Amino acid sequence: MTQATTAYQKPIPLKDIDNAPYWDAADNHQLALQKCEDCTAYSQPPGPTCAKCGSENVRFEQLGDDITATVYSYVVSYRPFLPGFQDELPTIVALGQLDQVPEVKIMCNILHCEEKDLEIGMPIRMTWIDITEDRALPQWIPNTN
Amino acid sequence: MGTIKDRYAIVGVGESERSRKSGTTPLHLALDAARAAIKDAGLKATDIDGFMNYNEGDSCTSHQLATYLGVRPKYVKDIQGGGASTEMLIADAVALIEAGQLNTVLIYRSLNGSSGTRVGRGYDPDMLQGALAGGSFVIPYGSASPSQWFGMYATRHMHETGITKEHLGHVCLSFYEHAQRNPKAFLHGKPLTMETYLATPDISSPFNIHDSCLELDEGNAIIVTSAEKAKDCTSKPVYIMGMSARQCHPHVHYWNDIDQVASDYVAKELYENAGVTPDDIDVASIYDCFSWVVMRQLEAYGFAKRGEVGDFVAEGNLKIGGKLPTNTAGGMLSEGYTHGMNNAIEIVRQLRHDYEGTDRQVEDCKIGICTGWAGPDIAGAMILRN
Ligand SMILES: [Zn+2]
Repeated sequence: MTQATTAYQKPIPLKDIDNAPYWDAADNHQLALQKCEDCTAYSQPPGPTCAKCGSENVRFEQLGDDITATVYSYVVSYRPFLPGFQDELPTIVALGQLDQVPEVKIMCNILHCEEKDLEIGMPIRMTWIDITEDRALPQWIPNTN
Repeated sequence: MGTIKDRYAIVGVGESERSRKSGTTPLHLALDAARAAIKDAGLKATDIDGFMNYNEGDSCTSHQLATYLGVRPKYVKDIQGGGASTEMLIADAVALIEAGQLNTVLIYRSLNGSSGTRVGRGYDPDMLQGALAGGSFVIPYGSASPSQWFGMYATRHMHETGITKEHLGHVCLSFYEHAQRNPKAFLHGKPLTMETYLATPDISSPFNIHDSCLELDEGNAIIVTSAEKAKDCTSKPVYIMGMSARQCHPHVHYWNDIDQVASDYVAKELYENAGVTPDDIDVASIYDCFSWVVMRQLEAYGFAKRGEVGDFVAEGNLKIGGKLPTNTAGGMLSEGYTHGMNNAIEIVRQLRHDYEGTDRQVEDCKIGICTGWAGPDIAGAMILRN
């Protein structure tokens, strides 16, 4: 075990019977979204059925690893509300509206972002941070190029 | 379908002491609040045949409260519920009385919100991931406080409607001003200026400590009965004109869907049931866990148009003497925090004209609104009259 893994104090996403395909994809640095075969709505986060129509006819769509978005909203927290965040303040939490699927918004931190540069509409890109030997966490970074 | 309009009343309200550290249990606080409400109504404890409370695993049970009041009621009910539960349980009480099951119901909320479990300070991470719907999609990102969840709504809404930090400050200043007239308000004697407000750093944007409700130890109780039975009480009855409640989000993970709130849907049915419009409302209790939550509800309940809410509060309309005196005891930002029930108690006292002859009374008020917010996704509200 590396030092980085023993040092990880933050909560690690709990997999359950409904969300496991999302987190399994994340562990492989990929995005997977649950989609309804009947009404075509996406459910993010995923659940036991389609959150829009209740259909059990849901499957996971693989979106790959080239995921871009824009900031739909955000908060900047100056106090840690959970273990592990005390050394990385302030924490930016942002809702990213996916370019590929605009009806889906995904909440992550924005890493490597100065607070003064943060604004609604700002382009961001998904990255995956290895937090333990077998787990990875999707995150946003500014999409500057 | 029949209407319940004006056929049910709130006949008693009461509270315990409020403090940072009660040194006692929620059962003791609930007993103090219940005894005060029963006395206020001029009833005996044994006149109450239904007891209900809402909690987040931080209260005593209705069974305990009834037992130690010396009552063996017909009906006890404890729900896990948020800040719309006062209104929703009053609706339950009315329904049970209407069904002939009960005569008189006491509803309470009691908690050591400061010295016991704290709502806003985060939780054990794994517990919350499991306990909170979709928790594993927010907790790993450090988002564990309602200030962060509702803040996400606030940032977007302020961006779209032009609401500024200073506008939020006007909400705080208005309620703090009311608290200075209320000797029992926790922040009585601690007035707030805009200069101080704007100089106070955020805890989590866009909220600083003044934008956030207090966390205190206290108990509150409310007694509901039929208009017929209200005649046997010594208090002035405050009649229920209309009620409505609503869960709106198509997804339990409401933080992905931040453009609507349940209050948007409650408002229409509420006014229809009560047979009034926003212009008829003389006094208001608007759920105020955070300053912005008040702004969003002022829009939802039609007191100011979207985009004009900032000006509405800056003009002083929430103050006593303004167009819509709101949270006249100081609200949860500056009076106390019982998850909404203290605001419901205040609207009852205003409509009874309990403060007649003082600068706390909203002169000649006849109709009031009380709104609850159990998050963006669940709302309950009622309109009352004297
Ligand atoms: Zn569907």
